[in-house]
Amino acid sequence: MPQEILRTILLVEDETPDAMLLLRGFQKADVLNPVVHLTNGDEALAYLAGIREYGNRTQYPLPALILLDLKLPGMTGIQLLQWMRVQGEIRRIPVVVLTNDDNPDTIDAAYDLGANSYLVKPGNSADIARMVQAIQRYWVKLNEPPQLVMRAGQQ
Amino acid sequence: MPTTPVLLVEDDPTDFRLIQRAFNKISDGFQMFRLSDGDEVIAYLSGEAPYENRGAHPMPALVLLDIKLPRRSGFEVLQWLRRQASGLNRLPVIILTSSRHSADINRAYDLGANSYLVKPDTGAQLEELASQFQTYWLRMNEFPSLRPEIAR
Repeated sequence: MPQEILRTILLVEDETPDAMLLLRGFQKADVLNPVVHLTNGDEALAYLAGIREYGNRTQYPLPALILLDLKLPGMTGIQLLQWMRVQGEIRRIPVVVLTNDDNPDTIDAAYDLGANSYLVKPGNSADIARMVQAIQRYWVKLNEPPQLVMRAGQQ
Repeated sequence: MPTTPVLLVEDDPTDFRLIQRAFNKISDGFQMFRLSDGDEVIAYLSGEAPYENRGAHPMPALVLLDIKLPRRSGFEVLQWLRRQASGLNRLPVIILTSSRHSADINRAYDLGANSYLVKPDTGAQLEELASQFQTYWLRMNEFPSLRPEIAR
């Protein structure tokens, strides 16, 4: 494991305080994987598709895990899941929904669209740190990610 | 903590005993029951005989699924599950297998597996897996509703 290249985690979160808490949580949990933080769905789509400024997969590698908020400016998290579902290998990337919305209908909709897991953001920073640590231990250390070919979609 | 029903699909009796022992050591927050072939799983989840009584045979909140199974394989079970209507398609499935082949990993995700775990080599590692599984899936994850009769 240690000699392996540390794979990228993509965090899609528009709320600055939430993103700060999550990023700090990753630091506290000693997550050495690079975390790419994007603040809206359109950026996330461009990153995953490898278009616009994200054409270089060496610089902008496909993530091994996506942490996705649902309420985003522009394209929503649900719409991004919908888009991912009809892509090639991108649809394999595990998506953990991380949101404030605990409405059962939203939870069902996310699973229907292929979300791998659904987490509701805790209210305080200690619980957020605990959640980030659990995410790191489960998804980064334990789970086997899909094998993705590192090439940009538009090249 | 409420008791979460977890379905373990494992045909190998030795692996089953090891997994059960590791999971029992770490938690009382779940109720694990086991099936050992793919056809049984489909009958169970469909509520067909002898599994009609949901009191005795509760719907699981998630499934730990081996790939290599007698009769229908884990892949076939997963494919069947994701094609069901009325919410059964949402049932979270975690593959737990000895295969590390990237073809198996990719196929599992393509068929809609929620997560893919490789069976560890030692009892201590298996307990660690059970502990992370408990913290993540049983304490933090929000589960979908599966069927009208068990809807929240």
